[in-house]
Amino acid sequence: MKFQKKRAGTKQEIPTASMPDIVFMLLLFFMVTTTLREVDVLVDFKLPEAKAIEKIENKRLISYIWVGKDGRIQINDSITKLEDVKSLMYTKVQALPSLIVSMRIDKGANMGLVTDIQQELRKAYALRINYSTNIKI
Amino acid sequence: MIKKRKLKDAEIPTSSMADIAFLLLLFFLVATTIDVDTGIGLTLPEYIPPEEIKQVEVPKDRMAAVLINENGDVLVDGKPTPVGKIKDNLKPRIESKISLPSNKKLIVSIKTDRKTNYNIYIQALDQVKLAYFESRDEYSNANYGKRYKDLDADQQKDVKEKIPIIISLAEPEAVK
Repeated sequence: MKFQKKRAGTKQEIPTASMPDIVFMLLLFFMVTTTLREVDVLVDFKLPEAKAIEKIENKRLISYIWVGKDGRIQINDSITKLEDVKSLMYTKVQALPSLIVSMRIDKGANMGLVTDIQQELRKAYALRINYSTNIKI
Repeated sequence: MIKKRKLKDAEIPTSSMADIAFLLLLFFLVATTIDVDTGIGLTLPEYIPPEEIKQVEVPKDRMAAVLINENGDVLVDGKPTPVGKIKDNLKPRIESKISLPSNKKLIVSIKTDRKTNYNIYIQALDQVKLAYFESRDEYSNANYGKRYKDLDADQQKDVKEKIPIIISLAEPEAVK
């Protein structure tokens, strides 16, 4: 007697025809939800944590100021001196009056430096600020 | 007679399409940021040259002075307070002034030293903001039965009028 192997008649393959469609959907999702990286951060910083925080809805309004562990200030793509903060921010506010300045300051920074930067911002009429913090759980 | 040859179907090879799409996907994953910007928002006052500054007397019961020294010790109206307790101290005072007119609401003044650690300052500011947010939430709960962020624009305006967030950042004194 001959034994015959029972085999399903269907093909044993994973259909890959729709794979590109799926990947394109993923791609579209990422393109819509994210924004392009604009600058390289040159300073080393760790954000403080807080509970009473707000989200900034509109990313296009934000301009960043980084302050690192060593007290260096970065605006745009380069390290800046404290005296230059005013003129740099002034041109930005002129271009976009509803600008929000997001201050990404290292938690070990001194308040003296923070206040100095705030004074420069006041002189530049960049009055809407946001102390960037991580959420505390 | 010409032999009829069967023509092959013309096809675009699509097997590598997925690979190409994955490559694009990877590029976007690397080149974009997804992190949301969260933080404590504030509006700074306009800059006034020192010679034009006018001193305005504020009655003492309107003020809540939060002082932070370089060691991270906190004084609220002269009394030493742990950072985590600032909220408990301020909340009843904010709530006691809800029915008062807008020129009698509480002003929280935060003053630091030039050598104060930024982290402590953020913790203190966070506490002050929390006190305000919780008062707002409780007020909206009592009056509208909803949390503050679920209210509509008019109601939010009313709550904002009743409990305005007034935080004054005093400039630190020069280190002696």
